[in-house]
Amino acid sequence: MSNVLRPYLAAVRSTLTAALTLENFSSQVVERHNKPEVEAAGSKEVLLNPLIISRNENERVLIEPSINSIRLSIKIKQADEIERILCHKFTRFMMQRAESFIVLRRKPVPGYDISFLITNTHSETMLKHKIVDFIIQFMEEVDREISEMKLSLNARARIVAESYLTAIST
Amino acid sequence: MDGAFRKIDIDAFDEDVLQESELYEADSRDPAQVLEEVKARQTSVRSYLAKNDVPGALTAILENAPYGPNVEDAKTISLQTLLTILNSTKSTEIPNVLKALSMDSQDTLMKYLYKGMAMSGWADSNASVLLSWHEKLTEIAGTGCIVRTMTDRRTV
Amino acid sequence: MILLEPHNVIIQTTLGEKIIKPSSLDVAFVDYDGVRFHLSTPERKTLLLLSMHIRCWDELVKYGALGGIAARLKPEYNVSLAIDLEQVPAGPEDREAFILSVALFKRNALAAPFESAFKSQKQLESSASGQGELMQIHYRDEEAIYVQSSPDRVTVIFSTIFSDETDRIYGKVFLQEFVDARRQPAIQNAPQVLYSNRDPPLEIRHLKQSTQYRRYGIRHLCPLPSALYRCQRCRYHLAHTAVRDYLHYHIKCSKAYMHSRMRYRVAEFQKVLNRAKQEVATTERKTVTGRTMSTR
Repeated sequence: MSNVLRPYLAAVRSTLTAALTLENFSSQVVERHNKPEVEAAGSKEVLLNPLIISRNENERVLIEPSINSIRLSIKIKQADEIERILCHKFTRFMMQRAESFIVLRRKPVPGYDISFLITNTHSETMLKHKIVDFIIQFMEEVDREISEMKLSLNARARIVAESYLTAIST
Repeated sequence: MDGAFRKIDIDAFDEDVLQESELYEADSRDPAQVLEEVKARQTSVRSYLAKNDVPGALTAILENAPYGPNVEDAKTISLQTLLTILNSTKSTEIPNVLKALSMDSQDTLMKYLYKGMAMSGWADSNASVLLSWHEKLTEIAGTGCIVRTMTDRRTV
Repeated sequence: MILLEPHNVIIQTTLGEKIIKPSSLDVAFVDYDGVRFHLSTPERKTLLLLSMHIRCWDELVKYGALGGIAARLKPEYNVSLAIDLEQVPAGPEDREAFILSVALFKRNALAAPFESAFKSQKQLESSASGQGELMQIHYRDEEAIYVQSSPDRVTVIFSTIFSDETDRIYGKVFLQEFVDARRQPAIQNAPQVLYSNRDPPLEIRHLKQSTQYRRYGIRHLCPLPSALYRCQRCRYHLAHTAVRDYLHYHIKCSKAYMHSRMRYRVAEFQKVLNRAKQEVATTERKTVTGRTMSTR
């Protein structure tokens, strides 16, 4: 892990750990409903201050805590057109499989690329520190994956161009 | 038939509805007075920094930090002053400086750190400096400090 | 497979089989660029009729594609070849070569404008002035090849459309590599490649439909002075006519690769997340009488 990335991930880790103190909480607005308050936003006394952790303008994490759920949104680095499209493809691919990634939100929060929604049910059935580990590992690897995909695209393009031009120049 | 009345949020007219102002105790000071105080503090911070007294400077700016509505100018000046302190502190000094602060000041500092990161793109906010301060502060003050930042409605 | 084969594999294998064992036949199949083929035995088992429909046939005829081809028109198809299986060369090598030449039917037809461009370039070279006719081959609905000869070179312009946003960006990466790859010492004498994705190249800017080219990727090959390539003409055609398919084929391959990669990575993430799940005891619970409890 590079030195630049480490404090960023450490900050996300500690903030997420702090935010993951969830309890079961029924809706105060609708009887017999129990929904993630951060999504429903029905009563403001159960919503906490949203926090932003940023590494630079293009890479930041938004953590919105509430009494029974937290929403974590990530903005992934996109340096150019190719990275933008690869990032879009990758996050889309994951979000289409949100069913199996229990904590993944199907749609990102506006301004971000991918969002996670962790509710009290998740923190009760899963180990809290492992959920944090998962998010951190995702953040670590998604950048690397995107840059590797970009490299492989360039490498392929190079081989393709070279073998074509070699074929017509010999 | 006009159905617009159906869209009215009747909960807002409930007399039990929770107002933003009821969530925390409002600052009793007058906005203009707060601004005066912050400006006065800005100069005192400069003199502390000239003496190389970082804990003194931090305490000065973090005590009675402006909060609540109507004091946007004072908040901005406070943040800017704080950022100059943070940027001018050597990274090896950070732990000692933090240990010298009171618990309340540590909490307020944490609020400012998050606010600083949220404002990234500003000329004088340097994310890597803020991140290293954040890391050290979490080591010293613990996760509780972050929880207090989340729960305290008196946003800076 | 990096380079695409220029010949049609179906023609090659079917012909190979039928020469050994003639039988009645009626198959229709397609090739790249919306080219349709029809292989049939209308009269007797040993007389194969290979018909081809190609969108730009009229243009190809104009530029001399008919030369040497025995054309027999069939409805819906532009051109037909009659192959008498009894008169096929006997030697195995000759036979292979013959089959391949039939399988290259489409490529040979498309090569006609290039042939005539190289011919006219030679004439222009001796007179050292003027420009050849700008030949347009609309081989797909909205895509075309333009060939023009000048005294010192033959310019070939391929226009292609990337209908998908992703394709467009991938295409840009590939085309940029075509431009850059020529800097390699090994392929210095390859023809120069230029591309533009906004303005059409100068040569075709005056054409009426050039406004449409705004959003196209345009590929532009400017061959070097003739002396260098004269002997390589044959391979030239081969390569040129397949360039669009080649590009699109590799873009699709890249996308498929990215997809399989994502699939793998997502599966890895899934494993990490599964580690967070707590072990739930799954022993079957029974009542005193021995009945299984069912969970609702």
